[in-house]
Amino acid sequence: MAQMTETTQPLQSALGAHGSGRAGASIHAKGITKVYGQGGVSPFHALGPIDLDIKPGEFVSLIGPSGCGKSTTLLLTSGLEPVSDGTVEVDGKPLTKPISEVGIVFQDHLLLDFRTAMQNVLLQQEIRKLDAEKIRARAEMLFDRLGIRGSENKYPRQLSGGMRQRVSIARALVHDPSMLLMDEPFGALDAITRTQIRHDLEMLWLETKKTVLFITHSIEEAVGLSDRVLVMSQSPGQIVEEIKIDLPRPRPAHLGEYPEFSKYAERIYKIFAKLGVYKF
Amino acid sequence: MATSQDHHIMPMQTTGPNPVIHALGRLYGSFVGSFLIGAVAIAALLGLWQWLAVWFEVPTWLVPKPSDFLGRLVADWQTISYHAGATSLTILEGFALSVIVAVPLALAIVSIAALERGLYPVIVFLNIMPKTVIGPILIIWFGIGPVVAALIVFLMCFFPILVDSMSGFRAVDPRLFYISRSMGATRWQSFWKFRLPAAMPAIFSGMKIGVVKAVEGVIIAEFIASNKGLGFMIMQASSFMDMSLMFAGLIAAAIVALIFNGAMGIAERVLMPWGNAGH
Repeated sequence: MAQMTETTQPLQSALGAHGSGRAGASIHAKGITKVYGQGGVSPFHALGPIDLDIKPGEFVSLIGPSGCGKSTTLLLTSGLEPVSDGTVEVDGKPLTKPISEVGIVFQDHLLLDFRTAMQNVLLQQEIRKLDAEKIRARAEMLFDRLGIRGSENKYPRQLSGGMRQRVSIARALVHDPSMLLMDEPFGALDAITRTQIRHDLEMLWLETKKTVLFITHSIEEAVGLSDRVLVMSQSPGQIVEEIKIDLPRPRPAHLGEYPEFSKYAERIYKIFAKLGVYKF
Repeated sequence: MATSQDHHIMPMQTTGPNPVIHALGRLYGSFVGSFLIGAVAIAALLGLWQWLAVWFEVPTWLVPKPSDFLGRLVADWQTISYHAGATSLTILEGFALSVIVAVPLALAIVSIAALERGLYPVIVFLNIMPKTVIGPILIIWFGIGPVVAALIVFLMCFFPILVDSMSGFRAVDPRLFYISRSMGATRWQSFWKFRLPAAMPAIFSGMKIGVVKAVEGVIIAEFIASNKGLGFMIMQASSFMDMSLMFAGLIAAAIVALIFNGAMGIAERVLMPWGNAGH
């Protein structure tokens, strides 16, 4: 990616001074399934079996209808929920407990009301017992990068929805994880904010090259951000198609500039139509 | 439609607000303003009372004049403040005990399903039961004294604190625990850093109701089961037909209630600064 070199400079220097700039992790999942209430009266088969093969630093989106098990996939790949069957390997090591080299962003910002924006981000440092000065410097750099400078001492309820989500992205990245898990992070935002924050996330990703697993309902978001889009079927979700997105980066606000965009979008619509997700 | 509205709005905008009315409006909204208005209203009421009592020559043993009981408040301030102090201590003991018991119990009930099923019906039954009923039993166990009053206060504020704490602990978004676990938080950390502060507003609203119940209940408890405190003092004054001391006690009780409620308000602001952080 040639255009990367231009944007890499500022962050690399910040990381050179304050952190390691850990590279992205690889995720390898084989035959994972999730059954809730296993052994109970009415077990619910939520997911799978699915296979995932995500390369270090790759941006992969999972797109699919509501309740197809996208969020479950996210929790399984980070060990936050145990798999019912199958195996997950992160960086070649099998997962047995929740990994901590991960940052998570949910649809609701899930910031703590009782901490200011900065305190929310620094919670990572408090709990992980990391170097306070180093993390603070990184946090400030991220506030800068995410355009939320000046909100450090505000409480979440004093911030707009978009700003809260930016704070929660900062929280997910401040400890320099190798993996970023995002569960419909922009789902609750308005269209204008969503387009801007999508671009900001793309720039940040281009610079840091974390492995990103991104869940969305939005075809535009999936195509606009990803290296690869995995399309999932209805519950119990399975991956029905894998689409490589071969568009230059950074991608523009209006994706319609690319004729290829509408081809990708149409492909996904057609898959959904075939699956019966859309009944027109 | 739009034009007719414009006609209505235009003249009002051009005249602008009267500066005197504006200043009064601001005073009305401010704390000092509401304090002043309250003070004036109370003074007017007491003045009217005084005047009516003098005019109709109401005897002091029936309805004392404000000058009588306010005078007693000054003349007998040592006795009254001794009893007010005892009442405050009783409130503090009963309230503190109920917080110490109710909050951990709420967490236990919410966390352990068996406890919820087994214990909660008992708690609901105890809550429905009138608390002062237990007074005579407690007197036999502990003798007449402030301990019994403190225990009744404990029972009075226990339930609101328990119920609100339970709903506070329950309301925490379970996905928050995914985030705490992804940080590698221990159980203790996720309780101390996530769950307890997240439940704090609910616990606090329970505590506020608890304090109101405590200052209400403490006087009744002292009527029946104590040998000091404002309730006891009023009871004694009643047996001597000392009307002005009874009224002075009433005012002292109101002041104690005011102090406790005010202290809760201040504690809330200090402990939960995010609660009143506006948009």
